[in-house]
Amino acid sequence: MATSLGQGTAPTGNLFSRRPRRDMLALSPTVNGVLNALMIVCCLLTLMPIYVIIISSLTSEASLTANGYRLWPEEFSGAAYTYLFSEGSIVITAYRNTIISTVAGTVLSVLMVGFYAYPLSRDNFKFRRFFTFYAFFTMLFGGGLVAYYMVMRQVLQIQNTIWALFLPSAFSPFWVIVMRTFYKTNIPDEVIESARIDGASEWRTLFQIVMPLAVPGLATVALFSAIGIWNNFFNCLLLIDEAAYYNLQFTIYTTLNNIRFLLENADKMQGLVNISDLPSRTFRMAMAVVTVGPIIFAYPFFQRYFIRGLTMGAVKG
Amino acid sequence: MVATSEAKPLPKRKPRWNRDRVYSNLSYLTMVLPGAIWLLLFSYLPMPGIVMAFKTYRLARPPADYWTQNKFIYSLIQSEWVGLKNFEYLVLPTNMAATMLYIRNTVLYNLLFMVVGLVLSVTLAVIIFELTNRFWAKVYHSIFFLPYFISWIVVAYVVYALASSNGIVNSIMSYLGMAPLEIYKETVYWPFIFLIANIWKYTGNGSIIYLATITGIDRELYEAAAIDGAGKWKQFLYVTLPHLIPVIVLLQILAVGRIFGSDFTMFYSLPAGAALVKDVTQTLDVYVYNMLRSNLPLGYPAAASFLQSLVGFVLILITNYIVRRTRPEMALF
Repeated sequence: MATSLGQGTAPTGNLFSRRPRRDMLALSPTVNGVLNALMIVCCLLTLMPIYVIIISSLTSEASLTANGYRLWPEEFSGAAYTYLFSEGSIVITAYRNTIISTVAGTVLSVLMVGFYAYPLSRDNFKFRRFFTFYAFFTMLFGGGLVAYYMVMRQVLQIQNTIWALFLPSAFSPFWVIVMRTFYKTNIPDEVIESARIDGASEWRTLFQIVMPLAVPGLATVALFSAIGIWNNFFNCLLLIDEAAYYNLQFTIYTTLNNIRFLLENADKMQGLVNISDLPSRTFRMAMAVVTVGPIIFAYPFFQRYFIRGLTMGAVKG
Repeated sequence: MVATSEAKPLPKRKPRWNRDRVYSNLSYLTMVLPGAIWLLLFSYLPMPGIVMAFKTYRLARPPADYWTQNKFIYSLIQSEWVGLKNFEYLVLPTNMAATMLYIRNTVLYNLLFMVVGLVLSVTLAVIIFELTNRFWAKVYHSIFFLPYFISWIVVAYVVYALASSNGIVNSIMSYLGMAPLEIYKETVYWPFIFLIANIWKYTGNGSIIYLATITGIDRELYEAAAIDGAGKWKQFLYVTLPHLIPVIVLLQILAVGRIFGSDFTMFYSLPAGAALVKDVTQTLDVYVYNMLRSNLPLGYPAAASFLQSLVGFVLILITNYIVRRTRPEMALF
């Protein structure tokens, strides 16, 4: 079962490595120019939404009201950010919960995936097929949302704890399969054999020889699990009822939903809500920016590894 | 994906059992233990819960001498079997139309995203691979990957900034002297919003695996094709595509298994609860969630949820069976 998933040899060299200078396969300068122009347009379109939220979070509310959204605002202002991180802001608790759960969840998933995948890559592991199937089967079949909800709340009882924000995402059978292939194709048997001859135990071999050699693969697992937990909304929606454990995504979604509801129904409840009391538009945009914030800084840090990790783990050349 | 290990010339010697191997295997078992426990708790434990779909689930307190004091497990076992009665709720005359609508939404959005995602990801990978300047190729690819970092909730903010009654789209409309659009009240816009958001977020990430595959293709194959007079298009058809097919088939088999599922957070958060566009924004996942959080008996969402799991599982088995019959080396299992 599943033995064929992602097996095989990996491509050599980097995805963006240099090509020979005189190349019969090179594109003609015209086609190359057209494609570059196309790519630049697409890149600008891709960056547009990100630019819009950043720039409008830095616009002063007055000039946003007067001129609407502009590509370059008349007046800059950092007021939204000052207010966002002022004493007692809901964002602070949410930030703390998100950071704790992301760090804990990422560490756990790197360790658990890294540990689980290694024996599956070893031919002398007797239960290799069983444990591969045991993980793989969960990718094909599940108990469904209702059963999951009941088990989390009634059996494991992790609702309204910080655990609910990261434990359900702390392991992934998909990354187990990728890491197993990574170990298989990147860690030569000879290295492991020589460690054994030197008298190293299996655990010591894993920690001191195998995992250091598998850093690109493990960094890829870390990156994707960090993104997954930082951006997770579903577990908070499903398992958290107390504001003290809300994460960032859930907090800012609730804010958006309330604003939308109040504004769309403003005519029906005149006098009940004062529209000017709602978070201002710049404040909302600042919330979106700080939500994206730190996770984007993880990118250059991991980028070194992660394309290599994905390439060698998931792909047959 | 081809199992290259089958091609090895000599069959491997069966490892013999000795003290070393017993010790290694015990160590290996301790390595898989944490993951195995996680899978047991978070994936396998909910599986028996699917019987809720065939029962009238009633919460009851177990008697003091019962083997488990857990209310959920006791109630699950003790609740009365009702056969397919919960499924009848989904096809009642009052609910039939809604159920079919949500199934239609789920399946059509999935097919749309599968086809568009595949075409765009492969195209992007080919273009990035062919570009002459490798530095810029890398810059473009990094930019296309960036949206993968941005959560659907932030995307919901962007959509709101664009589409709300005093948002960017309507400022442009008023600038052009046209009537404002009521995007949160009209259904026509939403399929496009979902499609564009989906392309924006996933194309860069989706292309990595194809780019990696193309990079792994032997350059001599292209040179031979070029010498035989094949242009770029023919090279793509006869060299690149055949190498991509195994990856495409693998990913599509997995995607077929999720055809009754959906990207819950996208469908739930982008409309931000706008009730008037529910007919085109609600998918089965959101439907099940809403039933779960309503006062309906739990058997009803459990029945819908069971259908999702079952259809996904059966489709993945059928697809894999067909693939295995025609191209055994490409089958998932």
